[in-house]
Amino acid sequence: MIARAVIAAVIFVISVITYPGALLVSLATRITPPPTNIRGPAGALPWLHVVHPTGALPYIADEQGRMVIIHAATPASLLEFGGSPTNSIQPSDYADGRCPAQLPHSTYPPLCETDLDAMATLGFNAVRLPLSWSLLEPERGQFNATYVDRIAQIVDWARARQMYVIVDMHQNAYSHFVGTGPHVDLGSDSGAPQWATLTDGFPSQVYSNQRELNPAVLEATTSFWYDRNGIQDEYISAVARLAMRFRDDPAVAGFGVYNEPLLGWNLPPGFEDLLLFPFYRRVIDAITGAHDGLPCWSGFFMPAPCGYRDLGVDDTRHLFFLDTGLLREVTDFPTHLGLPLSSYPNVMLALHAYTHIYTVDSIVLRQKVKDATYPWGGYDQSYVTAVREARAMAAGLLVTEFSNNPADDDLILTSQLQEQEKYRLGYAFWPWKETGAGGWGAFNRDGCLLLSRDRLLARVYPRATADPGLTFHYDASSGAFTLSAGGRHGDAPTVVYVPAEVTGDVAGSGAVSLQTVASPDGSRLVTASPTGGPFTIAVAPATLDLRGCA
Amino acid sequence: MRDRAATRALVLGLLALPFGVFAPFAIWSGARSLRRIRASHGEVRGATAAAGGLIAGAISLVTVVAGAAYWFLAS
Repeated sequence: MIARAVIAAVIFVISVITYPGALLVSLATRITPPPTNIRGPAGALPWLHVVHPTGALPYIADEQGRMVIIHAATPASLLEFGGSPTNSIQPSDYADGRCPAQLPHSTYPPLCETDLDAMATLGFNAVRLPLSWSLLEPERGQFNATYVDRIAQIVDWARARQMYVIVDMHQNAYSHFVGTGPHVDLGSDSGAPQWATLTDGFPSQVYSNQRELNPAVLEATTSFWYDRNGIQDEYISAVARLAMRFRDDPAVAGFGVYNEPLLGWNLPPGFEDLLLFPFYRRVIDAITGAHDGLPCWSGFFMPAPCGYRDLGVDDTRHLFFLDTGLLREVTDFPTHLGLPLSSYPNVMLALHAYTHIYTVDSIVLRQKVKDATYPWGGYDQSYVTAVREARAMAAGLLVTEFSNNPADDDLILTSQLQEQEKYRLGYAFWPWKETGAGGWGAFNRDGCLLLSRDRLLARVYPRATADPGLTFHYDASSGAFTLSAGGRHGDAPTVVYVPAEVTGDVAGSGAVSLQTVASPDGSRLVTASPTGGPFTIAVAPATLDLRGCA
Repeated sequence: MRDRAATRALVLGLLALPFGVFAPFAIWSGARSLRRIRASHGEVRGATAAAGGLIAGAISLVTVVAGAAYWFLAS
């Protein structure tokens, strides 16, 4: 009898803290009313939120309900890497148009106000701003107010240019405090502060030339997922601090909760379903007060069904951008069940699209791009599966990273941009500037915009539309653009951005009234007001006025 | 005498809860063990462990099927 009771109890407890419990809590979020959405104070930019249409992919929308397509640039200038100098975080060094010189041996130049101008001129309407936890909370419980002020300074610059900011808690290979060792380049590692890097004496040694394949990195990452020494609680508290600072600012679109989550010693799909996405739910619970998970302890390992206490931020307006597990970048298809995670509606699945760069054909089979035998579904494989994954999770989808060696732009960058158009997805291009060897930035080492990046990134696209089913295509070789949409009389207008590089005439046909306004930087903004019925907007092919360097 | 497959079924069943791939093996092992124990008319023990493994495996299988079904329906 006692044996039966013990076995039943063990089965019950393990069921609750693993998949059965995780599934029930996840499905419960679908029937839980969302936290009350308190309308935010009016700002320079419309508040964004996520619309959940029946039977279709959720999308970002503005206050008029129009689908908003984000094109973001990603400056890595606020990150702290090991073994290389960190750019000044003193806002006064950047005030009044000042711009510090790039430090010797640094990979990413300082981000200055002129960079925001250059981003806007290229047509970016957002900035994805990666941060380092090590700079935000260098000592446990002590937040660096100067660093937060520096972030706020960049938000101010963006707001002045009508650009949104995605505040991104970034990391690469967990931390640069994992220790030195064979083949370890701490200059490519960033993230957790030293006090939150628990390697337990595992050696720091990189295998297969992949910075993440390092026992010390895997152990430190695992320590985070299991909340050893309460470090996950500290992280949640750090994100909450940021949320509190920007709670009433619509120029901050939302928060990237954790960049490229590494499995540690865990295996998929349990890593994502039982550790990663429940962690995301806890962050959302803490900041929005959603109360989706079960009430649990904190300070040490919190099983999948555990929610998190309301930290009193009461932010029910910002978006949360939730990265897929890092392994998905290798497979280009989902590595977990993809369960709904929160009743909070403003959730975006954040996809990193690195087909032929980090997929198995490249890092395992060592194949060249043009000879690649994987992914079997081509570039589309990652996107078509990500759309399904996001829908299952009741989340929108944003490509928060993609890039490549500029030499492969005609193959990779062109294909990625085509996929994003096909699925009407916004994106964040990585990185804005990178001066190290083999840099992927939009500029060369001398600070000149690369010709191929000018041609491909300065593109015509709809920034907002009342028709979420619209289709559009920009041909970067000819400058031609076509958009097909529909609308009722009185619908909010569709807004199309035409960069200065594109010189062709704009024309509309069908049930639409067009108004084109030119900006001082040479770009044009086309406002298309539907008059009831289908319509098209076209930009005629014409010679591109490219300003970049070869 | 204790049926070794009963213990195996229980271990597989408990493993199946976080790792659903073990669920069919737990069910198969538990069911076979239970059949042997019943046929032995009391000579072979371990029915509790075998049933536990069978139940845990079944819970896991139902969870995986329900999760996958949700994914296909909702995605």
